[in-house]
Amino acid sequence: MILFSSLGDGYVWRALLEVVIVGVLCGAVGVHVVLRRLSFLTMALTHATFPGVVIATMLGLGLVLGAGLFGVLLVAVVAALTGPRGAEHGRETSSVTAVVLSGGFALGMALMSTQEGFSRDLTAFLVGSVLTVQPSDLVVSAVTTAVVLGVLAALRKELHLAAFDPGAFAAAGYPARRLDLVLLLALEATVVTSLPAVGTIMAVALIVGPAATARLWCSRTATMTAMAIVVGVAAGVIGLAVSEQWNVAAGGAIVLSVAAFFVASLVLQSLPWGEPVAAAVARRKSAGRPTYSG
Amino acid sequence: MSRPAAIVFDQASVAYGRVPALEQVHGTVHQGEIVALVGPNGAGKSTLIKALLGLVPVASGSISVLGRPPALARRQVAYVPQADTLDPDFPVSVAQVVLMGRYRRIGWLRPPGRADRDAAAEALAAVGLAHRAADRFGTLSGGQRQRVLLARAIAAQPAALLLDEPFNGVDAVSQEALLATIRALAAGGAAVVVSTHDLGLAQLTCDGICLLNRHQFGFGPPGEVLTPDLLRAAYGGAALELGDRGLIVARS
Repeated sequence: MILFSSLGDGYVWRALLEVVIVGVLCGAVGVHVVLRRLSFLTMALTHATFPGVVIATMLGLGLVLGAGLFGVLLVAVVAALTGPRGAEHGRETSSVTAVVLSGGFALGMALMSTQEGFSRDLTAFLVGSVLTVQPSDLVVSAVTTAVVLGVLAALRKELHLAAFDPGAFAAAGYPARRLDLVLLLALEATVVTSLPAVGTIMAVALIVGPAATARLWCSRTATMTAMAIVVGVAAGVIGLAVSEQWNVAAGGAIVLSVAAFFVASLVLQSLPWGEPVAAAVARRKSAGRPTYSG
Repeated sequence: MSRPAAIVFDQASVAYGRVPALEQVHGTVHQGEIVALVGPNGAGKSTLIKALLGLVPVASGSISVLGRPPALARRQVAYVPQADTLDPDFPVSVAQVVLMGRYRRIGWLRPPGRADRDAAAEALAAVGLAHRAADRFGTLSGGQRQRVLLARAIAAQPAALLLDEPFNGVDAVSQEALLATIRALAAGGAAVVVSTHDLGLAQLTCDGICLLNRHQFGFGPPGEVLTPDLLRAAYGGAALELGDRGLIVARS
């Protein structure tokens, strides 16, 4: 494979490291996105982060820093617009999300059209450019991943309960809004971090895809998280290999790998023997001593 | 009743914003008592439970739970939602669901310990589902899932237990198991408030009845509240006379 023969070049190593880091981060965060049905919100965040990239370029800020700051602003706007948690009192979330999504993206396009010279560079941030990842990007990715994984691990009990039974979570007196905000920030950090590898638009595929795939096979959140991470990393590496082998865009190849994992899982599950296989997998996983682990 | 009061409603009214949902609730639930909230759909039963959890503000009058405002009593109150409001596909085991009842007690950042696992296992055994601990929550029947949620509440060792329509769509075996567990918890001193459509069940198993439809029509022993006059007043057109044999309330 060309991927392995070209590992002598520094940029391929960096790309490989980046897709592995981003695969781990997106897989782990994606589990929460899928379990809380936040896929659409994630899509909005990825699209609405785009103008942050453009503004950062215009102001000469670091792209990831600019996108990150804009992302935090965005999370605040979404949190303010959706109002108190829950459809009962808050506004209907998907409408707000849809407006934020298209509005943010339009803002990015409008800003981009005023900056002709930048158009080429910025396109890279729409669809990603993993082969031009710099050592500084790797450091940002690694640090973000460590922080986000740390937060998710520290709050895993509370995040699990809040995702499974938000009513009981609020009834127990937990600060549900604050936990939502932490998760939103983790999600936005993930979007910004995966930006160099797959771009703003396709980041949603790398976040939702592996977790949605794992969701089809797993009956425990812990195993689902492990599988989502494996699928995220595998899709990144396979996509990169395909990209090197046949000279196609890396971002596209990575997202196509994610899609292939998901579609293949759907097909396997819908086959007549798919259910028994999934059940057997679940049985094997739950065999032995009952686990009360969180 | 010489037992201490656990929940006290004092001319309490509850409103969503400016829209009053429930008015003039007045009565006391003592420790060890089971009180049923009954009334037609939309009567405000769920709203009253939310008010007891401090999730809906009391507009006038007051509600006191274990001597405190509802929002400050939450750690000693366990809430059992309707099982069918939860995603049956969620990747979580029965044992994990029950253990969730311990989370508040465990606190942030710390993992569950042996005492928590033991309490969860004991609670699951109390509802008769110890053998299903390792199964995925969604593979259980509706009644069994309701029992698991009750076990989760018991694992929290609450001083007050609030149940929202726990008997809806529950098979006879699970209903018996639920009732036995709730009675045992009340016998241990917990105050229990349960909303239900089932007047017969409420009459047979509860120490008190709170009859609601936007406001309170009666609060007291079943014999005093589940009378034809009061039921007719609360249920309106949904109450059918059966000559001198009594009254039937049609589920709306």
